[in-house]
Amino acid sequence: MNLAIGKPTVRKALSAHAAIGLLAGAFLYLVCLTGTLIVFYEEWQRVEQPSAPEMAAVAPDVVQKAATNVLDAEKGKPRTTHLFVHLPVKALPRLTVTTDSQAFHIDRNGAIAGPEENSWSEFLLSLHYELNLPAIVGMTLVGILGVMIVALSISGVIAHPRIFRDAFRLRARGIGGAGLADWHNRLGVWTLPFALAIALTGAMIGLANIAGFGLATAFYKGDIEAAYAPIFGAEAEPDSTPAGIPDTAAALRHMVSDFPGAEPYYVIIHDPLTAGQHVQVIAHHPRRLIFGESYFFDAAGRFQGKAGLSDGETGQQFAASVYKLHFGNYAGLPVKIVYFLLGLALTVVVATGTSIWLGKRQRRGLDNFRLRNAWHGVVWGIPLVLAATFLARLILGNGAPLITIFWGLAALILGLSVALPAYLRLRPMLIVALTVTSLLSIATPLILHLLRV
Amino acid sequence: MNVFSAIVLSGSLAAVAGVTLLRVAWGRPLRSAPLLFAAWALVAAGLVQGAWANGAWGLSIVSLSAMGAAFAVLALAIVTSKPGKDRPSERRANILPDGGGPLFIGRRIFTFLLAVPLAMAAALLIALAGRAVAGWSGWHEANANVLAIFLLPVCWAILAFALLMTSRRRFQAILLIVPATIGAGILWLGSVA
Repeated sequence: MNLAIGKPTVRKALSAHAAIGLLAGAFLYLVCLTGTLIVFYEEWQRVEQPSAPEMAAVAPDVVQKAATNVLDAEKGKPRTTHLFVHLPVKALPRLTVTTDSQAFHIDRNGAIAGPEENSWSEFLLSLHYELNLPAIVGMTLVGILGVMIVALSISGVIAHPRIFRDAFRLRARGIGGAGLADWHNRLGVWTLPFALAIALTGAMIGLANIAGFGLATAFYKGDIEAAYAPIFGAEAEPDSTPAGIPDTAAALRHMVSDFPGAEPYYVIIHDPLTAGQHVQVIAHHPRRLIFGESYFFDAAGRFQGKAGLSDGETGQQFAASVYKLHFGNYAGLPVKIVYFLLGLALTVVVATGTSIWLGKRQRRGLDNFRLRNAWHGVVWGIPLVLAATFLARLILGNGAPLITIFWGLAALILGLSVALPAYLRLRPMLIVALTVTSLLSIATPLILHLLRV
Repeated sequence: MNVFSAIVLSGSLAAVAGVTLLRVAWGRPLRSAPLLFAAWALVAAGLVQGAWANGAWGLSIVSLSAMGAAFAVLALAIVTSKPGKDRPSERRANILPDGGGPLFIGRRIFTFLLAVPLAMAAALLIALAGRAVAGWSGWHEANANVLAIFLLPVCWAILAFALLMTSRRRFQAILLIVPATIGAGILWLGSVA
């Protein structure tokens, strides 16, 4: 039996691989790069606002006091539909309360310490999750990019019949494109399991709206929430009759006594200050991929049941495992560092893919310097602009218009890349600018810290 | 360290040893089947240990260890790599004509429409049909719905790749119409049942 793939198949797979890569290359690069950086989402928040109060743990009564203080601060505003309490965890040892319109850091006594200021972390997350577009459109586009990575992985393996045999052959200093191809293929083959896991989970998250719409239309009379209720649990019936503040402390005490293995990290009060309010506690389960189990309590803090994400149906556990597997936050800093390095490798694979194609054309005498410069503009310009947004956040403060700065500068760099004459070498200029901006981004928090001290 | 952590650690070490052995096996001038088998067996044993001790979490940790080991070996290759003289591969992707030929923009846009929105629609129909069949087979609603959410991107990626592997429009049409029709048929059967 001959399992070798025929030459015509290999040739077609290479065409398919190149076509998908060229079509989606720039956005794939952006999503891979931002995904690599967002692995450290919690750590970025700590860099952005180093002065926020931190604590290793918090007593249930302090959480109750924090919720009460924030709901008091909401008086005069439209009633918030949810109140989210982020409990201190190892990666982000901060107590933060968020409503529909504001977010506060809370001190060890449950008093409001000040507003949460993490606009750059949120900007980066939004750029990765939805390209700063409205959620449904943006998430769907990013989901499509996940599908493209899966298709690229399949076509890449078929287009390179020796890819496994040569898996350790890296001519890092190869000339004339040989080195570049080796970097692309070696990093590609060894990030393959990671790339497939990231792409599939990303596509599932991104395409959830389309899948939910399809499920709702075909099976739930158009009710999207009903399609997701069997997996994550349903929202309770609202009752807007005014009521007092729910007892979150009782709920947290119940967690300690009845579920000692679970580690609560989020408390959500649904429809606070109404008769329909209830408390949801989300807790980590150590050495599990699930983002947590949802424990439900009534307003008096009496346990009502759990969603079953930890021990319910296989589908529930599978769906709940998608997020941590995608973001790499399931085993502390060591796994985050590995995810960062693998993400960086995947970003290099995307960047080198188009460069290889451009290099081959150049060697055949078909150099299009504007196309080449545009790709340099993407590869070096996007990290440069990201570093610039970070610098803007540090210098201009939490209100810096980060989305405008990012997309405005990115468009400017791409425009200049295409417009510049051939004798002006763009890549060295971008590399120098990126180096300077990155160094400033590293130095500025240190300088600001020293100034504060 | 509890017993499960020890098993995950042992699985990780087995996977690292397996990757190292793969490096040795693939580095030999002649293929050694026993060595390759031993290498893959070690990787597989490590993954099984991880999965047995801590399910998906253990499997992920062992997989990351194996990939980490591969990158360590690659790092060694980077350090010891000599300035190369090999010529790069000049295989052509054949997606743009060399010098002045027509670009066939209309044809390319049509291929894009086939591989992206139409393949998505076909994949959605297959995913929903999968959900319907799972429901008829007595699957729990949560499992059936998650199956559909999983099938959508998987089927879409496979369809997009398959569509780009052929340039014959008739074959591309068959690739889309057959699964979409079957999917729609199953859904229709479900709606009238």
